[in-house]
Amino acid sequence: MATEEKALQKELTVFEQHKREWLRNHPGDFVVIADETVAGFYPDYESAFKAGLGKFGIQASFLVKQLWAEEPVYLIH
Amino acid sequence: MKLPFTPTTLFQQGPHLEILISATKLEVIEGRAIGLEYPDMSVRALIDTGASLTIINPQIATTCKLKQTGRQKINAVGGEAGEFPEYAAAISFPGSRLPSLDTTRVVACPIIRQPFFSCLIGRDILRKWLFTYDGRSGEVEIIA
Repeated sequence: MATEEKALQKELTVFEQHKREWLRNHPGDFVVIADETVAGFYPDYESAFKAGLGKFGIQASFLVKQLWAEEPVYLIH
Repeated sequence: MKLPFTPTTLFQQGPHLEILISATKLEVIEGRAIGLEYPDMSVRALIDTGASLTIINPQIATTCKLKQTGRQKINAVGGEAGEFPEYAAAISFPGSRLPSLDTTRVVACPIIRQPFFSCLIGRDILRKWLFTYDGRSGEVEIIA
C-alpha cells in the first residue's frame, strides 16, 4: 500500500502546479503525464490511456487525470 | 444479455454476473510481444447503481498486473473512505454478446459490505448500457 500511495507523486505535483492554467483551455479533458513530461489532453480516459502507452511504453508509469475545477469525491453506497 | 434469476435470488443477492478482468487489450498484445504475461481473472461482479465508479478488490489489481493511472477520492457509506488507487483494466463478459470494455477505469478498494463479490460494476459502465431490472419476474436484461 505504501508503494501505491507514493506512486505517481511527481506527476500529481506537476498536475497541481499546472491545473489552473490547463483548466482554461481543457476543462473536462484528461491529461497524461509521465515524470514531468505532458503527453497531451484527450476527451476521454480510454484515448488518454492509449496515448500514454504509445508515448511512454507499456512498462512506464504515467498519470491519467481529468481536469476538474473541484476534485470530485465519488460515492459508493 | 438476459440474466435469469428467481425473484428471491435477485432480491437476496442483487443483479450479478461473471466477468473477466485483465490488463488492457493493448498492454496484453504489446506485452506478449516482449515476453510479458498478464494474467486474467474471472470474478463475480455486482451491478451496483449506488456506485459512481467501478470498484475491484485490491488483490485483483495485483494479480492481473493492472497499471495504476492515478488515485480517486471515494466515500463509501458505512465503510472505507479516502483515496484509493485507480487502474486501467479490460473487462469482458464470457458467454454473452456484450461487447468487451478494452480500456476502462477501475478503483481498488476493499469491498467490505458485499463479501460475495470482488467487483462492483458502477455507473461509469452502466452509462454505456440499457439496464432493465424486473423484480417481479426476476429477469434482468442488459443491452449495450
